[in-house]
Amino acid sequence: MPVGTWFAVGTLASWLAIIFGLKMVGQLFFVGTGQLDSDPGRTRADLRLNSLLTGVFAAIGIYLTAPFSKTGYKLPLVWFVMPWTAWLGFACTGLMLARSAQTITAISPEERLGKLKAAMGLFGAVVVFVGLFKYDQESKIEILKGGIPLTLAMALGTLGLAIAAVGAMVVTAHSANACGLGKTIITQLALLAGSVVFGIPFVFLLVTSFKEDQDMSSKNGIVWIPKVTETVPYLSPDKAKKHYEVMYEGKVVEGLEIGQEAGKVKIDIFKPISIRGTTFLAERSELKEVPVAAKVYTTKVGNVPVKGFESDSLADGSRILQILEPPSMKGKATTVKPDQTEPVRHVGLRTENYSEALSYLPPETLNGLVYVKNTLILVVMNVIGTILGSSIVAYAFSRMKFPGKEKMFSVLLATMMLPSAITLLPQFLIFRTLGWIDTLYPLWVPAFFGSAFNIFLLRQFFSQIPMELEDAAKIDGCTYLKTFWSIMIPQIKPALAVIAIWTFMGAWNNFMGPLIYINSPENMPLSYSLALFKGDRSGEPGLLMAFSTLTVIPVIALFAFAQRYFIEGVTLSGLGGR
Amino acid sequence: MVLSSMKSRFVYVVGCLLGLVASGFAQQARKEVVFWGLSMGPDSKGQDAVLRAFEERNPDLKIKLLSMGAGRMDPQKLMTSIVGNVAPDVISQDRFTISDWASRGAFLQLDDYISRDAAKDPLCPTPDQYYPATWAEAQYEGKTFAIPTGADNRVLYWNRKIFKESEADLVRNGCDPTRPPRTWSELLKYSEAITKFDKNGRIVRAGFMPNFGNSWLYMFAFMNNAEFLSKDGRTCTMNTPEAREALDFMVKGYKIVGGYEMSEKFKSGFQGKENDPFILGQVAMKIDGEWILNDLARYAPSLDFQCAPPPVPDDRYNKVGRFKNEKDRFITWVGGSSLAIPKGARNPADAWRFIKFMTSFEGRMIEYRAQAAWEKQRDRTFMPRQMAHKAGNEEASRVFAPKFGNYGQALAMHTEISNFSRIRPATFVGQLIWQEHVRAMEAACFGKETSESALASAQANVQRDLDAFYNKSRYPEIDLRFPGVVGVLGLLGFIAFFVWQFKREKIGRLERQEAKWAYLFISPWVIGFMLLTIGPMMASLFFTFTQWDVLNEARWVGLKNYEDMFGSDRKMVFKALGNAAYLAGVGVPLGLTTGLLIALLLNAAARGIRVYRTIFYLPAIVPGIASAVLWSWVLNPEPVKGLINAYWNVTLTPWLGVQPPGWIQSAEWCKPALILMGLWGAGSGMVLWLAGLKGVPTSLYEAASLDGANAKQTFWSITFPQLTPLVFFNTVMGFIGSLQEFDRVYVMRPSLDGPVGPDDAMMTPVYLLFNNGFGLFKMGYASALAWLVFVIVVLITFIQFKLKNRWVHEEVK
Repeated sequence: MPVGTWFAVGTLASWLAIIFGLKMVGQLFFVGTGQLDSDPGRTRADLRLNSLLTGVFAAIGIYLTAPFSKTGYKLPLVWFVMPWTAWLGFACTGLMLARSAQTITAISPEERLGKLKAAMGLFGAVVVFVGLFKYDQESKIEILKGGIPLTLAMALGTLGLAIAAVGAMVVTAHSANACGLGKTIITQLALLAGSVVFGIPFVFLLVTSFKEDQDMSSKNGIVWIPKVTETVPYLSPDKAKKHYEVMYEGKVVEGLEIGQEAGKVKIDIFKPISIRGTTFLAERSELKEVPVAAKVYTTKVGNVPVKGFESDSLADGSRILQILEPPSMKGKATTVKPDQTEPVRHVGLRTENYSEALSYLPPETLNGLVYVKNTLILVVMNVIGTILGSSIVAYAFSRMKFPGKEKMFSVLLATMMLPSAITLLPQFLIFRTLGWIDTLYPLWVPAFFGSAFNIFLLRQFFSQIPMELEDAAKIDGCTYLKTFWSIMIPQIKPALAVIAIWTFMGAWNNFMGPLIYINSPENMPLSYSLALFKGDRSGEPGLLMAFSTLTVIPVIALFAFAQRYFIEGVTLSGLGGR
Repeated sequence: MVLSSMKSRFVYVVGCLLGLVASGFAQQARKEVVFWGLSMGPDSKGQDAVLRAFEERNPDLKIKLLSMGAGRMDPQKLMTSIVGNVAPDVISQDRFTISDWASRGAFLQLDDYISRDAAKDPLCPTPDQYYPATWAEAQYEGKTFAIPTGADNRVLYWNRKIFKESEADLVRNGCDPTRPPRTWSELLKYSEAITKFDKNGRIVRAGFMPNFGNSWLYMFAFMNNAEFLSKDGRTCTMNTPEAREALDFMVKGYKIVGGYEMSEKFKSGFQGKENDPFILGQVAMKIDGEWILNDLARYAPSLDFQCAPPPVPDDRYNKVGRFKNEKDRFITWVGGSSLAIPKGARNPADAWRFIKFMTSFEGRMIEYRAQAAWEKQRDRTFMPRQMAHKAGNEEASRVFAPKFGNYGQALAMHTEISNFSRIRPATFVGQLIWQEHVRAMEAACFGKETSESALASAQANVQRDLDAFYNKSRYPEIDLRFPGVVGVLGLLGFIAFFVWQFKREKIGRLERQEAKWAYLFISPWVIGFMLLTIGPMMASLFFTFTQWDVLNEARWVGLKNYEDMFGSDRKMVFKALGNAAYLAGVGVPLGLTTGLLIALLLNAAARGIRVYRTIFYLPAIVPGIASAVLWSWVLNPEPVKGLINAYWNVTLTPWLGVQPPGWIQSAEWCKPALILMGLWGAGSGMVLWLAGLKGVPTSLYEAASLDGANAKQTFWSITFPQLTPLVFFNTVMGFIGSLQEFDRVYVMRPSLDGPVGPDDAMMTPVYLLFNNGFGLFKMGYASALAWLVFVIVVLITFIQFKLKNRWVHEEVK
């Protein structure tokens, strides 16, 4: 027999072992939680049989495939990679064979005919799928081989976990509300696992926003604990490398000395980055030298391990280290190739990612404050607009009589399903005619005209308010506007809160609008500025994640305060159940 | 009065906010020159210096720099700003796209400025200062629309160390290991001798991969005297014997290194600058631009490489046959950026002042000097980039040429070959030819098509746009004011009719009063409906019969847009619809199931439910753009960087032997990637389910447990039927949502222009519409697409409502 066959047989055996193993665990679960069958003896016999089969098949599988794995025992796996046409072809073939078998065993002629028809139909499907498979020239079926290594640690871990789980179930079975508790443990475990899966991208976002560049990629997988490189303040004796702090146009800036003119020093500004490259003349007495943060490395001099900071480097990349440790060599310098040095790092957060991210924003945005202002304007105006516009229209539709009401309302309902794509281009032309391109108006003015969905929703709420309240107001001589404002609005506050939150989210997240209408940084909201930032700084994930975190935090803060409205808003909307 | 005080308070708040918007920030005394297309980076010191130097010399001006996307300008953004009359003053734009913009009248013509200033202003750019090819590339129909800046040409980089190591193999193959190949056949022989495979047939070291680096089909076609466009610019000539020969050469080159697919895989195994296979000595020869010198100097300063002219067809080298009278033995191709002034710039005169300074010899030298000083201060070697300005380029190579290694020789080679550069044709279909030539090249190298059929279909696609442009005058011009007036009159007529009807209505005084108030109350919606919904819809319907780009006159084309949609552009339209169907068909059921599973779990557990609920729900409220940014890192295909692939690489790869997928960088995996990302936000669905589950009457469960139903039976016969209205609602909304998928795709697509995701696998209908509408301003065609989306949404809604009766459980009331 060819070698591959034994591997395939072994895999089959291991699959069977897995199936019986799962069955066994399931039975153990029921035994543990006290949900026994009417006949406990049979359950125990089943359990014994299953565990026996599991063991036997696992042994066969591992034994047969052991010669194929060079690195110890493995749980063998063979699987097929094929296009969907092939999968469907296989499935239909299987079903067809089953139906054909049933034709033979059928009791009545009608049943036989039915099964035969089904088999014929499936045969047709097989032909179609196989044809499609053949037609697609690139399609091929691949058989892949592999295995989960059975290391001692893995085996012990799995075994320990299984014993612990079964033990926990058995223990709980003996307590009074055994059934409930066992179930709770399982549910809690599942929930924990789910939370980890859903929470990990958040953790990744946060951790990455505090990482140094060198931790962004690592051969050992993802770096979860950020580290920072140690530095020491250093005043370079090299004149060209001295950093000076000096006043320029009323601000403290940092710069380099690039020459002298008329008894003054020519300074080239490099910080803040928004005016980098500006040169100006300053008196030498105005300059204040600031130390440079020199990175600390460890290396070896001869056989002695030493620690020192980098004071200079050469054109070929070699580093000149000023030795700090051991004390006997302190003050000496050594020149080493970069690959012989190791930076000294300790666990810590690189908070500079945040300040650097903000410093790269265009200067006219005042470190991103302008983005926040624009976003707030959008949010506030949209919320006010939607609430006012939608509620007053909803009020008229629910509580007032006027000719054409039914027709108008059905038109309104019809617009609920309207995709925004269809009005996108003409709306752009309208706002262009108004000269509103590159202003925020196109992004909030439409909100004041009400939205069909919100009007529909609020109408439902208005309809639930008892008529008596309104009648009383009418008798008191209230105008419609006053009735609406002082009597009806307070009644639907929870619904308005939900709509406000939805509108808030919509306005905060709106991306296509700013993408089409906004061009200058002074008018940009956060969502769009983040997309632009991604384009510019895609090579610097630390900064990118820091800026993302900053845009996410306000939403999460709102969620923390108004969680009830977020989550229960769905119930309020009447969409969840009846 | 409660009301009036509320009202005045509201008016106050609104007034304040409006004031805030209107006032903006303190007016600056200096005039601004808005400059798009360059970004400020940690090392962009030279660029900053030249901007500041300009401001110093022109104290009345201030440069406002904005990148508007990565290195390359986002074409959609520029077009929208030009059409919206808020264009920037100066933009930096890839030179081969200039004609495209110029043909649409989107750029200002610069010839008047040049002829005015040429004599009196030493800063003024003139054609004689530039390499002829670079100047010609910024021309359209004989007029100048941009001033060239960079000029990146390509040469052959060869690793001398590998040549020495493979000396025996090279000699056996009849090659001289001391010099680089000069002709195509030599190149193939060298590559054959150097390329090594391991015993599993995987590449270990490659000699030469034709498109590794930056050569493309264009370069080989140029060498073989193939032109992709006829002289008069009206006929696309991609499918010529010369072009086919060049493509066949590339296919042959790939065969030597085990085929295109394998070499792409080999290439993608080395990600990141310091891991470039040429730097690591895994590839012996590549054709590339001078930008790689910076990385070479930084990551492998001691690499023993040299530069040579890129190998040419044997006949050209030997000057026989077709090439008998050819002057140039070697040929390279050149590209680069240029500065232009968009139409509608607020400040064109000052923009011109800025362009003059920035492109002048003086300006360029300020830039290079500052950058050189910056690099020196950081102990790095400055590699001057090639520029289109002849004197500047020669001066830069002279002054800044690095003194160590072979860098000086390499730069000299780049400078020398500048005089033998060809450019891509200056035509308004330049970008299209580029995209089509890439598609044809990949199809042929993959072996999916012969070079003839690949080039033929590329040629046909380009010809379609050429014909549409030159046959424009066939369609009658229309004045758009006319339908506008008709529309407004119709609206007024409708209102008048309505008022007349209302007057005739036989109702009492009180009712009439109430109705008047009601009309006032619903007026916001009515006005909004007229102006922002039905009016635009009618306009959009009208546009579908026209061809209009807003900047130029509109033409009545009848049903042509629909014909294109289902005819020549059918492939793309169906691809977009297919992608939407995939996202909806796989994504919506998966999302619903995930949401339901979480909801069932949460519904069961009593303790800590609030905490869990928050964790599951949080991803749903993360702003879409932020989550797209986050997921583009979570899904990073490199196992050393991406969250998912890092763990895939240590579990599934060793266990099952499956390599981690390329996610958004591979055609097969980018839709599953989007779906996976959508599943993360399944929390919103979960909340809906939770509400639904809480709404199932407990009496039903009690009855079921009395009847002895097990958990499975209870779920399928009680819980699920009660939830079907929810399933229905979510399915409809999910399908409609995936048709309109846009934000995530826009943020996550790997490149700003060209295909949306590999092989357009992320193209969605609304993205296609957006691209045609706001990228190309094909108002007519984009409107037709909008109507297609509309019709499909209506159909889906209709079908779903029909199907609803068959499986949605609704209690008889």
